[in-house]
Amino acid sequence: MNRFVIAEPKLCIGCYTCEAACVDVHQEVGLQAHPRLVVTQTAQGTMPVQCRHCEDAPCAKVCPVGAITEADGMIQLNESTCIGCKMCALACPFGAIEPHGSSPLSQQMPYEPYVESAGAIIGEPLAPSAISAPLSSLLDWSAGVRTVAVKCDLCYFREDGPKCIQVCPTKALRIVDSESLSASISAKRRQTVAKTSQVLSGASAAENE
Amino acid sequence: MTTVKTVCPYCGTGCNMYVHTGSAHIAKVTPDLEHPVSQGELCLKGYYGFNHVADRRRLTTPLRRQGNDFIPISWDSALDEVAGKFSAVRRDHGPDAFALFASARCTNEDNYVAQKFARAVMGTNNVDHCARLCHSSTVSGLAQAFGSGAMTNSIPEIGEVSDLIFIIGSNTAEQHPLIARHVIRAQQRGAKLVVADPRQTEMAEKADLWIRVPPGHNIPLVNGMLHVVIKEGLHDKEFIDAHSVGFDDVVHAVESFSPEAVERMSGIPAGQIVHAARMYAGARASVILFAMGITQFSHGVGNVASLANLAVVTGQIGRPGAGVCPLRGQGNVQGACDLGALPNVYPAYQSVTDPALRAHYESAWGVTLPAKVGLKITEVPAAIDRGEVRTLMIFGENPLMSDPDLGALRKEIQKLDFLVVMDLFMTETARFANIVLPAACWAEKDGTYTNTERRVQRGRAVVPAPGEARLDWAVFSALAARMGYAGMNYGGAQEIWDEVRRVVPKTFGGISYARLDKLPGLSWPCPSEDHPGTPILHKDGHFTMASGKAQLTPVLFDPNVLPDAKTKGFTHAITAHVVEHADTAYPFILTTGRRVYNYHTGTMTRKSPLLEQLAPEERIELNPADAKELGVADGDFIKLSTRRGKSIARAWVTERVAPKNVFSTFHYWEANCNELTNAQSLDPICGIPEYKVSAAKVEKSSAAEAKSWRDWIQGEYRVAVERATNAVLAGRVQK
Repeated sequence: MNRFVIAEPKLCIGCYTCEAACVDVHQEVGLQAHPRLVVTQTAQGTMPVQCRHCEDAPCAKVCPVGAITEADGMIQLNESTCIGCKMCALACPFGAIEPHGSSPLSQQMPYEPYVESAGAIIGEPLAPSAISAPLSSLLDWSAGVRTVAVKCDLCYFREDGPKCIQVCPTKALRIVDSESLSASISAKRRQTVAKTSQVLSGASAAENE
Repeated sequence: MTTVKTVCPYCGTGCNMYVHTGSAHIAKVTPDLEHPVSQGELCLKGYYGFNHVADRRRLTTPLRRQGNDFIPISWDSALDEVAGKFSAVRRDHGPDAFALFASARCTNEDNYVAQKFARAVMGTNNVDHCARLCHSSTVSGLAQAFGSGAMTNSIPEIGEVSDLIFIIGSNTAEQHPLIARHVIRAQQRGAKLVVADPRQTEMAEKADLWIRVPPGHNIPLVNGMLHVVIKEGLHDKEFIDAHSVGFDDVVHAVESFSPEAVERMSGIPAGQIVHAARMYAGARASVILFAMGITQFSHGVGNVASLANLAVVTGQIGRPGAGVCPLRGQGNVQGACDLGALPNVYPAYQSVTDPALRAHYESAWGVTLPAKVGLKITEVPAAIDRGEVRTLMIFGENPLMSDPDLGALRKEIQKLDFLVVMDLFMTETARFANIVLPAACWAEKDGTYTNTERRVQRGRAVVPAPGEARLDWAVFSALAARMGYAGMNYGGAQEIWDEVRRVVPKTFGGISYARLDKLPGLSWPCPSEDHPGTPILHKDGHFTMASGKAQLTPVLFDPNVLPDAKTKGFTHAITAHVVEHADTAYPFILTTGRRVYNYHTGTMTRKSPLLEQLAPEERIELNPADAKELGVADGDFIKLSTRRGKSIARAWVTERVAPKNVFSTFHYWEANCNELTNAQSLDPICGIPEYKVSAAKVEKSSAAEAKSWRDWIQGEYRVAVERATNAVLAGRVQK
């Protein structure tokens, strides 16, 4: 069975630490610096939404170049093979895949968020041109990056597993794998037996009266 | 790689963390697994908010204004000029023509030395800091009720002991995520949660009972709860008789606040008031958590006093897990208050008007001290206008973003003869300064910080300060020496702290650096080295008042100004109303606050590319019903205006806000809610402005209009900031 990360809305306090950690670890290894889980606040509850690593994944089915494959108990997306056709984002029933990259200059939005001069580290002189024409500190790592699909990869490159689980202050995130799933299923079966026998013994007691 | 343990520089939770440095810069931050409050966790600001430390825009030399530009100067000439101007203003216009804004971001030692400089060197009590704008109502309200204005219990008790948590006016999940964690732990243990808030915050979503309070209507809710408690006999008669005075007046005051009357006045359903009262009074240990949603009103002290009444009348105070907990916003706002960065008190809240206490400080500091209470931050702009305050020094504070009605403040600040700003960056405030001084930041200094639960903790230097940046206290010492005062020549932070321990032994005497190096902090009062500290105040109903008893104060409220008839028969009642109401010209109510990604005016957090990526711009919360009426979709631009000013930003269409309410923050200069807030509606007791209620107008806007507004405000706010920064940087590169 494919494993996946899921959040418990009762515990999630919407603090976005998971999103920040996700960007940080992926940027570090040269993958898209974009959160792969998105904290979503609704009137019914709040939690980060991310890939469920479906057994019969619609995103893998619709990918025309085979960039999305099932291997090692997860759905993997190869950011180098991806052509940015966005079909996977349309097919995903959870909203867990998002295209991300820099847009061409000609398509610039009428209102971009304001970014201050690049915040390089003290002691490292910047080229004078960088001072007269401040660059976005965000663009430092994203300029010229073509748009590809971005989704949860379970931090496969980390020995400690998904970073989001590690940093969540309320431990609202957990990994579901075949072991934990069967443990939870058998616990619920035991509860079902207990409840059923309670109901039935109550009923037979009533019949006996 | 080296690793140093220190205190997180952001909110008042006081999480401890390990800072790892590679070469000379911070590489990463990891949580302290053993700290009793943070318990191995941090929030996103703690983990990822450190980039400002090594940001190349840090100030590294003193700067002098020359026309519209700043030129680097030496420390000697900067200090000579500042000391000369300060001496001149004291000589020509008197000591009270000088005012000092201290900093809740700086250490206890910095604040002690700063207020000593104002009092002992300049000879004025005109020293205050941003607590005036956040919890001054708490300091006044709780001090008059309990004898101490601080949080009564420790944070871990919330998670481990309290059975009922009543959060009123605190967005705990966003502003104190690691305190919210203790609330979640309490819920997992079976504790109940009641939340009163105008917005459906994360805590409101998780509450067993959420009461949507219209902005400015906390008093009718709490008085209504008191009414139910008394009517149903849920009050603790023994506790009231033994440990309080003034109960009869409170009974009389809440008589008219029946749940039905409160529902008519505020729209809060009567059933919810009854339910909340029974839950709060009936629990074994109830704790109240509150923050700016209680304090930032023209009747902030009234709000706080009504909560104090509720806790005392039900006996929910002075026991483990039961108490009244103001959650403080800045890392050391508790400490800055404790160390006397306030215009009416010396360290440890000793009144400047009390001759005996004044004599104590006069002998400790070897000077004659002024007896007149100084100006509050919120009184300074008007005093500048009248020509009474001519010289101002500000360190570690950015009032040109954080104070109300910025349009007016920008004009007033320019009327000063001389302004000195000491900070990490060229800020919106520093751009108006005559002299800008570069300060060392939290990661570059030793000292102590006091978190919201009165826990004094040790902060440690991790990296060297950039360029010529200096420690804040060292600058005040150098100025004092130049101005002929010998009593401020310190060898280091520990020497200052040891003076504090000698001067206020009852509060801090037992809190030594040696103990702090071994313990996860000590809560004051801690009078001797063998004292364990005091996590719970007012234990068993022994209040820190002179009488030992809590003082209950009747709080009267009417949405409009109270008619005289209603206040008859009360000798010391607090009367409250809401200053601005929605009308036909301004049909919305604007309420303001902060979001989890950013910290206050963004000078630190907006230097973190990661945080900036997650939240690059302001989003004004707008209810879907209003959005529909205005024809605005989520992410469209809206124009928000009040009688003071305007702001344009994208709308976040969400049910979090009630219909006809909007919510905006002061993180972004591009769209700052303080262009719109009211600086005239001050609490008569503590002087806090009514940040939380402004009558506002909302109109559909466009990307083009937003852009042109931003260009204008950039000229107002930013052009000077960026030009100065870039000029200084260019100079540095050429060197």
